Amino acid sequence: MAAKTGRQRPERWRPPRGRHRIPAEVIARSQRERLLDAAVDVIAEKGYATTTIADLTKEAGISRTTFYEMFEDKEACFLAAYDAAADVLARRVASAFESEQEWPARARAGLEALLESLAAEPAVARLALVDFGAAGPAAQRRYRAALQRMTPLFDEGRDFAPEGRSLPANTSRMAIGAVVGLIVDEIEAGRTERLPELLPEVLFATLSPYLGPALAAREIGKR
Amino acid sequence: MATDIESRRDALLKAMVRVVGRKGYEATSVADVIEEAGTSRTTFYKHFDDKHDCFLAAYERMVDEVFATIVAECDGERPWVSRVRKGLATLIEIFSLEPELARTAVVEVAAAGADARKLHWDAMNRFKGYLEAGREAEPEKELPEQISVMAVGAVSGLIFDELVAGRAEQLPELMPDLLFAMLVPYLGPAVASEEMRRAAQAA
Repeated sequence: MAAKTGRQRPERWRPPRGRHRIPAEVIARSQRERLLDAAVDVIAEKGYATTTIADLTKEAGISRTTFYEMFEDKEACFLAAYDAAADVLARRVASAFESEQEWPARARAGLEALLESLAAEPAVARLALVDFGAAGPAAQRRYRAALQRMTPLFDEGRDFAPEGRSLPANTSRMAIGAVVGLIVDEIEAGRTERLPELLPEVLFATLSPYLGPALAAREIGKR
Repeated sequence: MATDIESRRDALLKAMVRVVGRKGYEATSVADVIEEAGTSRTTFYKHFDDKHDCFLAAYERMVDEVFATIVAECDGERPWVSRVRKGLATLIEIFSLEPELARTAVVEVAAAGADARKLHWDAMNRFKGYLEAGREAEPEKELPEQISVMAVGAVSGLIFDELVAGRAEQLPELMPDLLFAMLVPYLGPAVASEEMRRAAQAA
């Protein structure tokens, strides 16, 4: 099922078959994790609209009853998968960002982590930036919220840039839109695995609204 | 008689754009579309296989019309910055006057499957091509190849946010920011800010 989406995440732990003494909550957590992974993979493969609950339970290896114990419907399951994926991405980006001192280097580290994470898990990339659009208004709001979490990576440019404070309040949203536009183009063109090569362009899109094209190009040349 | 058949097809295409913008793609039914268009179910199926087929035709026609309107407004406009300003203002006016069309064009298209997303992508590429077309060469600056992707991505990100928040009618207020977003990858913040201030004064 997930072969085409190039899943590279390790297989989740599964409880052994037959009689065992593993606590029920451990089993439940493992089932939930498998189901959320399955949602990411199946939806990336089939698209949200045509994915059925049967597809999800089959891929996750759980029963229909177990599914409905955890989620009311497909949308609720999708939103939980979205939140989990967005959370992992946001934490990876934030910790890379925090590992550097000055803004251009911080932005570079954060974006590098973002591109590498998306490239390593193409199904997550599709879910986060493409497939959300099929899952209705709640998913659209999740998407906006997920992008908003990236704001500091961009907005520190205000303090760093000479005229940063006089830039429009929406500058970070614009830069995020530019970065997303670049990434989605690659995903749609089937080049998700090569996203890390896009770092110079993504960095240009991030730095140039604050620094201008010339300074941005100079920062990108540094390493 | 042929024109009558054509006009019914046309009415269905326009109805599809409006209904999807209002109800969302998923929730839209063929019954909604024929009711909005004032045609019969038979007429619908004479022209289209199903909802998806009609949506794709409707989307393509809408993009053609919006694009043609922008080209008609902007062609011959010089210099490049004025052309960008005028093109963007035309798009924003269309979106603010027809919020349902705007939602279909930018938000709901993502719900209509891979074929629809491809049409959206093609449309974005047309806009990118048009944005690049009249640009005066600036050989001293080495801009990345995907500069138009950044400009269009920034603008469409802002518009998407406004539409999801139900603020299509207020889009013209955002014109100065949108102009800044479109120009800044090319010209840098100083020039883009100046253009933004001028757009704000003109408003």
